[in-house]
Amino acid sequence: MSEPSGVEPVGAAPSQSTRRPRADWLPQAIIAGLAVTAITVSIILTPSFLTIDNIRAILRNASIVGIVAVAMTPMTLSGNFVSLAISQSSMLAMVSFVAMIGAGWPQPVAILIVILALIVVGIVQGIIVATGLNPIITTLAAGAIIYGVVSEITGGGIIRAGDNLVSWGSSTLAGIPIQVLVFLFFTILVTILMSRTVIGRETMLVGANRATAGISGISIFRVTILAFVIFSVGLALAGILNGAAFNQATARSFPNLTIDVIAALLVGGTAIQGGQGSPLRSAGGALLIAVISNMMVLNDFSTGGRLAVQGGVVVVIVVLLDQMRRRRMASS
Amino acid sequence: MIENFIGRIKPYALPLVVLIITWIVIASITPSFRGAGSVYAVLEGFPMVGLVALGLGVTIIAGELDLSVGSMAALAATIAVLTESAGLVGCIVIATLVGTVLGAVQGTLIGRLQINSLVFTIGTLILLRGLTYISSGNAPIIIQNFMMTDPLLDRYWIFSISSITALIVFILIGLFLTYTRWGREIFAIGGARNEAIAAGVPRVQPLTVSFAISAGCASLAGALAATRGGSAAPQNYADLLLSGAAAALLGGISLYGGRGSVLNVALGVAVLTVVATGLAARGSAASLVQLVTGALLLIMITIEFLAGRLTLKDTIFGAGLRGRSRKTTDTSD
Repeated sequence: MSEPSGVEPVGAAPSQSTRRPRADWLPQAIIAGLAVTAITVSIILTPSFLTIDNIRAILRNASIVGIVAVAMTPMTLSGNFVSLAISQSSMLAMVSFVAMIGAGWPQPVAILIVILALIVVGIVQGIIVATGLNPIITTLAAGAIIYGVVSEITGGGIIRAGDNLVSWGSSTLAGIPIQVLVFLFFTILVTILMSRTVIGRETMLVGANRATAGISGISIFRVTILAFVIFSVGLALAGILNGAAFNQATARSFPNLTIDVIAALLVGGTAIQGGQGSPLRSAGGALLIAVISNMMVLNDFSTGGRLAVQGGVVVVIVVLLDQMRRRRMASS
Repeated sequence: MIENFIGRIKPYALPLVVLIITWIVIASITPSFRGAGSVYAVLEGFPMVGLVALGLGVTIIAGELDLSVGSMAALAATIAVLTESAGLVGCIVIATLVGTVLGAVQGTLIGRLQINSLVFTIGTLILLRGLTYISSGNAPIIIQNFMMTDPLLDRYWIFSISSITALIVFILIGLFLTYTRWGREIFAIGGARNEAIAAGVPRVQPLTVSFAISAGCASLAGALAATRGGSAAPQNYADLLLSGAAAALLGGISLYGGRGSVLNVALGVAVLTVVATGLAARGSAASLVQLVTGALLLIMITIEFLAGRLTLKDTIFGAGLRGRSRKTTDTSD
């Protein structure tokens, strides 16, 4: 059967590997060019853009979205599209972390339990998806269930850390906010995992050409589960970091995270069909969106203006990248 | 003759059984959910969730998915309130037309660019939400002439103006999908895209039509809700995607494209509304409704999966599916 028009798995044919350098170079150049343009325009329009405080603010804003976008990249690369349960999962992590701190549990224990709990929730979804159910609908349902359960338990109220306030959430190390450091290390870790390890390369191949990967003896089940585990760790980190920064949480925390993360991932140039992209690019996408948002905030854009520009940027970049990918495949 | 009949009702059997069971369960544990009142309550689900599910259902049949329906409904709600001087019917028609045109543009672009509709509609989801905030001035807006919307609040036995409007749209789109060439082309392009195009079905037009329907339905839903409630808030309706998709899939619209009908959507909407109104009548929070919706959705796609109804289709979800099914044969040896 011929491939469907919109969803050609990117060919892993030998002829393509010779074209690789150009293939990776062009989209990144476009993203980098856009980032440079955005930053240049920002500096010209707003003198306050290039202050240490503002740069710190941009990085801090980019880091939560960035951590989750980086964490989700292996899942997208493996051909499992995106999760629609991002907000709810991070909210679960944040609420449970704050609740445990409030109950007087030691912080390391709380952090460990939150990460393990999120991994369990992720593995359950991973098993369902790996069995063959649609990832979009599975995660949509999972998000509704998680939100429902947390809301029922908390009764819709605010969970507070009480007397056991976490102090390190807003702290900095050598002037760098803790979130930014976590973002940096997590990005390096996932990038190394994806590009330098066997399982990372297997993940890319499964996304590029699932059938070939299966025939080559790669366990698609194992790849999918691992992708969900990495994703869950990112979700847990985002929840813990925000929990530590705010010391309170509700079932409505992280309202826009799902859309922001998917936007960052797509703008970074990771193909939603899988097989193309990298965690580093998703981190870049998160930074680009943060820069543009920051510029608009400094220039007094309204909520609507910011959203419209962000949406417009996402549409334009995504279409551009998709068209380039298409041209390249047509020419190879 | 009898086999023909069984073949015809088979796609509706499972959702119908689920509907009957949920209705009996909810009616037996909720005294207020009985008689004509309960039918009225269930029909009231059609102007909101029903219309959105109908539009989403059409895009799923076309092998695509429109994630932007929530933002589209919010934008239409704002437009309806802003154009109230056109009268009750006028402002609803204007809002619906604007939405339909935007949807047609979106569908044409998706078809022309041959881009994955999930990717494209994530962008327009944000963009349309931004336009909603801009057009409403970043704050909730209210209708000045409250008297105007009174007819919408009247109840006629088990019907209201809103539910009658929604049901008429269901019937019209059902007839369109079943009996017109354009309607059949949507099924063809969703069921087996390359084969359909090879057979002469246009590549772009069915997508233009299905996304116009999905945006039009979402807009009508938003406009009806806004005029009925007398207000529109720019942050509204983000949850519509979940309930709309859940209703379409609960009713038996196949996630793999090319299969399903308006009757499937209607059954799904009825199931979801029975659960939602039943739980609400018992004083449960909206979050519990979400929980049950999510669980039902998961159960339903699992049943569809286990029933082996899925065959390998060239749809938006096909790539993963194709590989997965091969994998099961590959790892068996």
